[in-house]
Amino acid sequence: MGATDFIGAREDPSAPDVAALIPMVRRVIGARVADPTTAEDLVQETLVRVLTAAPRVEPGMLEPYAIVTARNVVTSLWRQQDRDRRNQHRVVDLSPPDAPDDDMLAREEQEAVAAALARLTDRERDTLVAHEVSGQDTRSLAEELGSTAGAVAAQLNRTRARLRVEYLLVRENVEPPTDRCRPVLLALSGGDRRRQREVDAGRHLLECEVCARLSPPLMERTQSRDDELRIPIAVDADVVAARQAARELASRLGFARTELTLIATAVSEVTRNIVRFAGAGEVVVELLDQPRAGVRITARDTGPGIPDVQAALADGYSTYNGLGLGLPGARRLMDEFAVVSESGRGTTVTMTKWCDAR
Amino acid sequence: MTGPKLVSILRQGDWLIASIHTALDDSQMLLFRNDLVEQIGRHRSRGVVIDVAALDVLDSFGANTLRTIAEMARLRGAETVIVGIQPDVAFAMVSLGMDTGDVPTALDLEEGLAYLGRPTGARSRGRRDAAG
Ligand SMILES: [Zn+2]
Repeated sequence: MGATDFIGAREDPSAPDVAALIPMVRRVIGARVADPTTAEDLVQETLVRVLTAAPRVEPGMLEPYAIVTARNVVTSLWRQQDRDRRNQHRVVDLSPPDAPDDDMLAREEQEAVAAALARLTDRERDTLVAHEVSGQDTRSLAEELGSTAGAVAAQLNRTRARLRVEYLLVRENVEPPTDRCRPVLLALSGGDRRRQREVDAGRHLLECEVCARLSPPLMERTQSRDDELRIPIAVDADVVAARQAARELASRLGFARTELTLIATAVSEVTRNIVRFAGAGEVVVELLDQPRAGVRITARDTGPGIPDVQAALADGYSTYNGLGLGLPGARRLMDEFAVVSESGRGTTVTMTKWCDAR
Repeated sequence: MTGPKLVSILRQGDWLIASIHTALDDSQMLLFRNDLVEQIGRHRSRGVVIDVAALDVLDSFGANTLRTIAEMARLRGAETVIVGIQPDVAFAMVSLGMDTGDVPTALDLEEGLAYLGRPTGARSRGRRDAAG
């Protein structure tokens, strides 16, 4: 079936003009796939998908929708080729057979993308489309917009981050329950750690069930960073996991063995508080390179909070088993130490050890 | 407990030799404590060596548990000596403001047994310096 069949098949005058999209789809795919036969196959596949979804796509949204679809089609081809290449030596085909409801899933997916695109501002969408369609580079875009290439690139990243968030919200069919949800999800999607700290994303994920559920696919991108570890804390064994994770990550920086044990001991102390007093929380271990090499531990929980932080930081403070909270001890082991606690909301301990070894 | 043993408690005459083989969490530490104290009673042991060389850290809870074990052992007529505290662990304990209290420590198992086997008349407070 050739591309022109689509034109002949158009009987309903109110039907969207999918045929008008063909040159643009060819351009998107042609820019990415060298082999003309393969490219034409992908153009067909894209048009079929767009046509299926067209009745549900808003007027004016068909073009960006088609672009995203074309890119997805190319990406899945690449993935397939990559899979095939890796499995070449195998006798049996390991790739799973197409599930019967694949079509339906694909359709839902496409609708979600279209709806997400519709939630962007015109300017965001235009810039994204210009960049993705004809591969217009950020410099020439910057000239058109009276901006700089760096600013355009940053804007594009923000737009993509927003698109991912909106896509998830549409797909999961949820409305964010609080004002803080969108900023948090955006910060996670953008992988901007400073922004994540500004909006206290970690704490929000502990408190907000909706965002906790939505965030994993957004975090996958940031989680792939190998200089950060996040350990959920609920039971005694997690205390050991947290202190071992901290030791292992910090050991990359050239800390001496003694310093690594100081770090692990401090982590053990603050993590125990989560298990004892809060029941659940998390420990995040990050390697820092600014202003110099170091390791930062953030232990946060959604427990009752510490009524008097100053008192808790003083030696001799005692709440269980005749032991203190371990906070004064942990503070002595680290270079920087801060406790923020709010009654009824929980506690965040942030502590840093700088690596002076280099 | 399944899998590789986290701790072992061996009886040698009047003594028990308890070894911790890996990092223990708080619940495991308490199980170890209860198990050891129970065996001290059952075997009417006179001395206990606790080898902590494999522990990754001795934080406030770990150090406190060791002190408790020694105190419970003392009440049952057994003397406790802790061996194998690694230099880095000892340093962290000192920085943390923790120590093993009145519980004597020795460098390794051999020294620990020698400590328990010293002539009775020579018993004093024992060595309290952490190894290293
Ligand atoms: Zn939320």
